[in-house]
Amino acid sequence: MLGRVCAIRIIQAVPTLLGVATLVFFLLHLVPGDPVDALLGETAMAADREALRKALNLHLPLYEQYGQFLLGLLSGDWGNSIVDGRGVLELIAERLPATAELAAWSLILAVLLALPLGYWAARHAGSTQDFAAMSFSLLGVSIPNFWLGPMLMLLFSVTLGWLPVSGMDAPGSIILPAITLGTALAAILSRMARSSWLEAMSMDAMRTARASGVSEQTIWWRHAARLAAVPVITMFALQLGTVLGGAVITETVFDWPGLGLLTIEAIQRRDYPLVQGCVLIIALFYVIANLLADLLALWLDPRQRHG
Amino acid sequence: MVETVSRTQKLIAILLSVPLLVLMAAWLMNIDGHRVDLDAILAGMSAAHPLGTDALGRDLLARLAEGLRLSLSVGVVVVCLGSVIGISVGITAAWLGGWVDAVLMRVADIVLSFPGILLAIALAAMLGPGVENLIMALVAVGWVGFSRLARVQVLALKHAPFVEASLAGGSSVRYIAVKHLLPNIAAPLLVEASFGLAAVIIGEAGLSFLGVGVQPPDASLGTMIREGTRLMLVEPLLVVWPGLILFMLVMAVNLLGDRLRDRLDVKSVDSHV
Repeated sequence: MLGRVCAIRIIQAVPTLLGVATLVFFLLHLVPGDPVDALLGETAMAADREALRKALNLHLPLYEQYGQFLLGLLSGDWGNSIVDGRGVLELIAERLPATAELAAWSLILAVLLALPLGYWAARHAGSTQDFAAMSFSLLGVSIPNFWLGPMLMLLFSVTLGWLPVSGMDAPGSIILPAITLGTALAAILSRMARSSWLEAMSMDAMRTARASGVSEQTIWWRHAARLAAVPVITMFALQLGTVLGGAVITETVFDWPGLGLLTIEAIQRRDYPLVQGCVLIIALFYVIANLLADLLALWLDPRQRHG
Repeated sequence: MVETVSRTQKLIAILLSVPLLVLMAAWLMNIDGHRVDLDAILAGMSAAHPLGTDALGRDLLARLAEGLRLSLSVGVVVVCLGSVIGISVGITAAWLGGWVDAVLMRVADIVLSFPGILLAIALAAMLGPGVENLIMALVAVGWVGFSRLARVQVLALKHAPFVEASLAGGSSVRYIAVKHLLPNIAAPLLVEASFGLAAVIIGEAGLSFLGVGVQPPDASLGTMIREGTRLMLVEPLLVVWPGLILFMLVMAVNLLGDRLRDRLDVKSVDSHV
């Protein structure tokens, strides 16, 4: 049963991926006027213009460009960077580890912060402690990471001199970017943890457990935690994808040489094939993360397998 | 709970007071935020420049107010356009069903397959700089939430007795949509709109921070943070002020959304910045 449902979900993701690729293909055609003009300027030599037009496949009719684009994606030829001529996939692969490292630390930090905070708020629901915890979490959602980053730099690097300002070579350079990226995740996760814990605690089963003499601690951590875990884990899997979107800004702030910074560099240099490649790969990870969240929810909560 | 609500109100009032104060002070002093004064570069606080000046000697208070006005107007425009498009799509999909529903929701799925901020960045970068393109990029991402929410709500209402009665009585579909459906699905959409406003305000500033939104010399809180970050070592306040104001505004709007959700008892929407 589970296997069949999983297979259906995975097959359903295929048209979505095709749609994603189509949207990314049309990104290039959103550039107002002629992309070649935008890249070379209107005074460029005719030969250069023609060469670039060929490199971008712009000399073909639209449907052929689209076909070439899709075929290229499937065969692993994602085109070449206009700026330095290297393969788009090669450039992406180079930057991937840095982003993976940043994402991993941010997610670890988020979980370590969110679970105790969510538990604490749920345990004291309605009290001042709860209000404080939830205000803190709202603060985390509301603080723009392109401001949080510079503020952390100002405090910990410039004023206190404890941590490096940017880059990834000095020891401890991961700390500030991870906090910057992890804060919003922690905020969202802690709210989720609080509400699911409270919902689990309001179930009849908990009342029954309490009546049969099970200690409060055991009810919170054994019985309720197991139920509360389902939405929290699902949310966590969704965050795997969201964190990549946030990485674009965080990496720019800290000059962290990952996929996000590569995207922004490509945009600034108008390296359109590279922009397309970066956007596509991040969306791909995002779709996979969402699918993973879906499948996890199915596995953890059998009720969702029906309907 | 009653006590929590009044605490929330106090917090909202405190958070909104600073941005409001900036707007009022700038309006009363009526300084031109574009006037370059090379004799007063990075000047500290003074009677003429209450918050000092930036690297070109422009008045910081006036620029903060201009950035705030831009944030708010972009936010309101994007949420209005996004909600009108999204709600129309959602109602159409739910009402007609069949292939129309399948196609519209597939499009929504595709938009949702990108991290929102990334798609907005890519669209804005391709369309080119400027406020109109920025608005288009944010609307292109923002309508989806409204459409899904409206669709689910209308699906639940479509066969409700009062809707069927109205149909049987000969009402047009447009009449039913406006008079019967909209009022009944308004509550969650209103909550979505308030969280959406917070997201759009951060989005505008983020895109401008990255250089794909508002362009100099126009002031956006995002471009001010970007310029301030470069001069952080010389004059930290240039980055502190715009970020603080942006943050206070966004948090106030998020709190309003939270409160609205509790008041209207809407469960299906969560803040999603």
